[in-house]
Amino acid sequence: MADAMSHDEVADLLALEAVGALEPSERDGMERHLSTCAACRHTADEYAELASLLPAALELVPPPARLRRNLMAEVYAEATASPTVPWWRRLIDAIPASRTFTVVGAVAVIAAIAFGIWGATSRTNLQPPVTVSYTVSGTTATGTLDVPAGGTPAVLMVNGLQPLPSTKTYEVWLIPPQGSPKGVAFLSPSPAVGGWVAVVPGSLAGYKSLAATVEPAGGSPTPSNTEVLSGQLTAS
Amino acid sequence: MHLSDDDIVRSISARSPEGIEALYDRYGGLAHTVALRILSDRGAAEDVVQESFLAVWRRGSTFQSGRGSLRSWICTIVRNRAIDRLRGDRHRTRLDTPIEGESLEPAVSDPWAAVALELSGEEVRKALSELPAEQRQTIELAYYGGYSQSEIATAMEVPLGTVKGRVRIALDKLRASLADRVETPWQTQ
Repeated sequence: MADAMSHDEVADLLALEAVGALEPSERDGMERHLSTCAACRHTADEYAELASLLPAALELVPPPARLRRNLMAEVYAEATASPTVPWWRRLIDAIPASRTFTVVGAVAVIAAIAFGIWGATSRTNLQPPVTVSYTVSGTTATGTLDVPAGGTPAVLMVNGLQPLPSTKTYEVWLIPPQGSPKGVAFLSPSPAVGGWVAVVPGSLAGYKSLAATVEPAGGSPTPSNTEVLSGQLTAS
Repeated sequence: MHLSDDDIVRSISARSPEGIEALYDRYGGLAHTVALRILSDRGAAEDVVQESFLAVWRRGSTFQSGRGSLRSWICTIVRNRAIDRLRGDRHRTRLDTPIEGESLEPAVSDPWAAVALELSGEEVRKALSELPAEQRQTIELAYYGGYSQSEIATAMEVPLGTVKGRVRIALDKLRASLADRVETPWQTQ
């Protein structure tokens, strides 16, 4: 089929396409031209790049810390998923990833799964072997960070922390030798085990210690309170 | 350790979670700003940003470094998903349409992408402020409002051709104005 559109006509459509205003009825003709015209493909890339600069004019609105937590929890869960769906994947999948995640939901989910992890030891496929266990402690709290075999997420289990109002949360941080602490998880209460549980996604390599602080619900970009819990990431 | 955008792309292609983490740390704020500007709803904006980065994670290596910047790519994905959400069209996903171009020949390196990376928000704001109000309003209705050419024509009570002309002239002016503000040599083709 002959290409009936001129470069100039196509450039008009490419500008519309870049800002998302191209009518569907005009797309076929434009794409037919692009398939044979390198110059217009270059123009298409330029206009797309220009349009993508528009947000740079906006005042940046930083996302809440929980967005990063939820995203990375899901990514790490998928990265380490296996066809048999191991216990830790069920744990992560069972924790709602959306922003509507509530403390009530967390209590129910964590309690049920933690009970399964700690109580059903006769089911050999439920609890993976722990290769490293780190001790954490605070003024009133003690616990362990267990790192299972196979690169699966570590699980932090803590006893002795005080209940918090709904506007506060215990946020878990990994602390590098230099630089800022990295928020990685929130501790959730688990009445079934009488303590608190958090799944810590990702590698612990490159971090010297772990800590928990009380932060506003949803988390903070950096710790804003003193530690209620801490531990060195050297095997105990 | 500072990762370049190319390092981040390679990491994502290799299915490394650290790649997505680095992508989010670099462009998550911009993505959130775009989604919030379009949707005016914090919860919906967060959902769109999370869906967008998960889509990148799951699809991996659809980014083509010769066809623009990583920032442009993630902005496009987030913008399209936010507009889809705005229009209530949850079944349509346009992740690939403006990005992959699998039928296209390998593109030459885009010098504009390099120029764009040097620009600050203040420079872009100034360039936008220099556009006539009707041109600025036209591209904002399209980019942030999800309006099509015909919808803009109706809303602004102007002919279709006027909308087409305003968008192209506005982008051409932006290109010229922004190219003047950076030191990188720039030549139009």
